[in-house]
Order: sequence, then structure tokens, then C-alpha cells
Amino acid sequence: MALFGSSSSAAPAPASKSLKQEIQDQISQELAVANATELVSKITENCFEKCISQPGTSLNGQEDFCVNQCLEKYMRSWNVISRAYITRIQQSSSEK
Amino acid sequence: MASVSQTALQNLDDTSRKEIMQFVESEQSKSKVQLSIHNFTDMCFKKCNANKPITSGNLDTNEEQCLTNCLNRFLDTNIKVVQALQGTQK
Repeated sequence: MALFGSSSSAAPAPASKSLKQEIQDQISQELAVANATELVSKITENCFEKCISQPGTSLNGQEDFCVNQCLEKYMRSWNVISRAYITRIQQSSSEK
Repeated sequence: MASVSQTALQNLDDTSRKEIMQFVESEQSKSKVQLSIHNFTDMCFKKCNANKPITSGNLDTNEEQCLTNCLNRFLDTNIKVVQALQGTQK
């Protein structure tokens, strides 16, 4: 994932067309970063709660394993919820 | 990240400005939906994994059912609440 723009050295900008594109790209990128940040923080919160009941001096093997499984499960859950929510939105907007 | 200079912004023509505004609006609604999904996942993950340890990274059919039920019943509840409050206003 290219977080900070791909080709910065595009052709000498013929004014507003590419500037518009630049602004839109920047907005999309910031939203993608915000989305990823939110996901990281929610996963950390949930998996810390689930996997590390008594914090030791380091993450032990079991905790490490649990965090990995939890991370995977959380992302799969995110996809399930996302699909279900979008279906629901589409249903309610077609009822009108 | 190449930041956009102030003078360049002022030189934007009206059509581009309008298009950018529309783009911002659509991105905003997209991010609103994403934020809702984050909150729902957080809530339903907690509910569906309460009292049981994480033993696998996969979702079994029960877990998947639990998640979709959780979301749909939450939205049902939301609608009920709104309807009930609208009813009392009349």
C-alpha cells in the first residue's frame, strides 16, 4: 500500500486538472490512513483484552499466538459485519 | 506528501472546486459508513466472543451467524427506538 502518493513527478501540471486530482488523492489517502488507524486501535484493544490477562515482562508464546489468531478473527469479523451492513443499507434504500 | 499550496488553490476554476466539494462529500459519507462498521464490529466481536477464548483465526458458521444476527438485531433495536420516540411525540 502506497501511503504517501505514488508518482510525485508527474508532467508539469497544466493547472487545475491535475491539481484537482492531487487534492482528491490526498483526501482519499488521509481517509485510508484514518481507517487503518481505527482498525489497528480496535484490534489492539480487543485482542489485548482477550489474550493478555496477566501482563508479564514480555509477550509469551501463547499470548503471541492468541494475538495472531485474534487479529485474523477480528478482520474476518469486520468483513462479515461490513457485508451484512451494506446489504441492510441497500435493502432499506430499495424499500422506499 | 506533496502539500497543495495556497496560491494554487486560489487558481482553481469553479468547475474543479465544485467537483472537489462533491468528492469530499462522497468521501465523508463513505468514511461515516466505515466508522459505523468499526463500531459494530467492535461491539459484536465482544458479544460473540464473550466467555470463550480465541482458539482459531477462522470464523465458524456459528460465529458468522452470531455476527450477522448481532448487527441486524442492533439495527432493528435502533429502528424500534426511533419509532417509539416518534410515537410519543404525536
